Amino acid sequence: MGLVFEEFYRSVPKAGEEVCGDNVEIIKKENKTIVVLSDGLGSGIKANILSTLTSKIASGLLDKELPLKEILSTILATLPVCEVRGIAYATLAFLIIDQDQQLRLIEIDSPSAFLFRNDKVKKLDYREFELEGKKIKEANFKFQRQDQLFLVSDGVTHAGIGGLLNFGLGWDGVACQIERTVKKNQNDLKYSINKLVKIFNTFYNDQAGDDFTIIGMKYRKKRKLNIWSGPPLKKEDDQVLAKKISEAEGKKIISGGTTAQIAARELNKELEPGLKYYDKDIPPTSKMEGFDLLTEGLLTLNRVLSLLKKYKPGQIPVEGKDGASRFTRLLLESDSVKFFVGRAVNESHQSLNLPINLGIRSQIISQISEQLRRIKKEVKIEWF
Amino acid sequence: MSENTLKICIGTPCHLMGAADLLESVEELDQSLREKIELKTSHCIDNCCDQAPVAEFNGKVYQDLNPEKLYKIISENIR
Repeated sequence: MGLVFEEFYRSVPKAGEEVCGDNVEIIKKENKTIVVLSDGLGSGIKANILSTLTSKIASGLLDKELPLKEILSTILATLPVCEVRGIAYATLAFLIIDQDQQLRLIEIDSPSAFLFRNDKVKKLDYREFELEGKKIKEANFKFQRQDQLFLVSDGVTHAGIGGLLNFGLGWDGVACQIERTVKKNQNDLKYSINKLVKIFNTFYNDQAGDDFTIIGMKYRKKRKLNIWSGPPLKKEDDQVLAKKISEAEGKKIISGGTTAQIAARELNKELEPGLKYYDKDIPPTSKMEGFDLLTEGLLTLNRVLSLLKKYKPGQIPVEGKDGASRFTRLLLESDSVKFFVGRAVNESHQSLNLPINLGIRSQIISQISEQLRRIKKEVKIEWF
Repeated sequence: MSENTLKICIGTPCHLMGAADLLESVEELDQSLREKIELKTSHCIDNCCDQAPVAEFNGKVYQDLNPEKLYKIISENIR
């Protein structure tokens, strides 16, 4: 059973600001993952530009494996200078983890990382040196199966200033909150991140005094997802497909009303169409024993595609109870996705003058798989 | 158990042609009428998608509906 490295983050802008001055870039490669966090000076658009530039340059150059010295001098030479303060500045923290679980972390002026190991949060062992006039902290260690690592921007360690505390939480205070939260639910990183954001926001009295960001990382087992969409061209394949999907390993989705009817008939199960519209544009989902989700076909798939296009790696998957949001969540939570696609066309759809961009099933599924490959999911498609 | 069963198709064509409005109009019926009807959704009812939206009331299939037509069908056929 393979392991995958998973990472989630949330950024909260300073109260009253539209955009966050922190920026996170995550690059997933076949053999390594790069995570970059940058916090721009100040807040608002200016900080956002500084941090976006810094993290984009850093992640791009790291991806091309340039030495640290080059990366730093490029960033320093590129950042625009702040008119008010006369300096150009953003903090930077990045890490690279390879397939042997060997991790290299570099921090420049950002709070030290939090390592959760054996139910305790501890500080890493850092080596310090100077480069291009900057003080740099570097840590190298082997990431263990049960470890969780958290990176934060200084908005987190200062949580509480102007709110419930006089001097902010500080590193030890944050460590204490992380330890408490992660212990409660070690397997669900998304839960921990959401919970921690809520806690820090509370220290700020729900009026964040600075932009803050928290990234969490850990290993977990690979998850599989199987999707059947569309009736097959040959009727005798109905039985074959129904059998394939019901015997497949992992979670299962059926997309398409007629497809669900075929599955119910072939597997001799009861299909229970739902009544509730959570979103007026997405028809209700149905229920059938043995399947995690049954949705309508084309409209739902189109919405899934547009949700996937907006997705940036590391973000916490979309909320929402409608079929398309649940579909997208299942896709994002899985690592290897297998599509079983039937190519039969519903004749009466053709006569309806549907909007052209609704497209046909095979095209949409190809586009969805393209999006999934972009975020480094394994995708297989079988056509029937 | 209600005596009358109304099934509304929520397949793609029926949805696009206003199945959600039909469902809503049933929920807004007078209480005295509404409680006599068991409301269900359904996938493709009779393969007559070119006549969407489609509904089935007490076993009979009706095509090309809108809320007014559906109201008429319900009030004329209710048991």
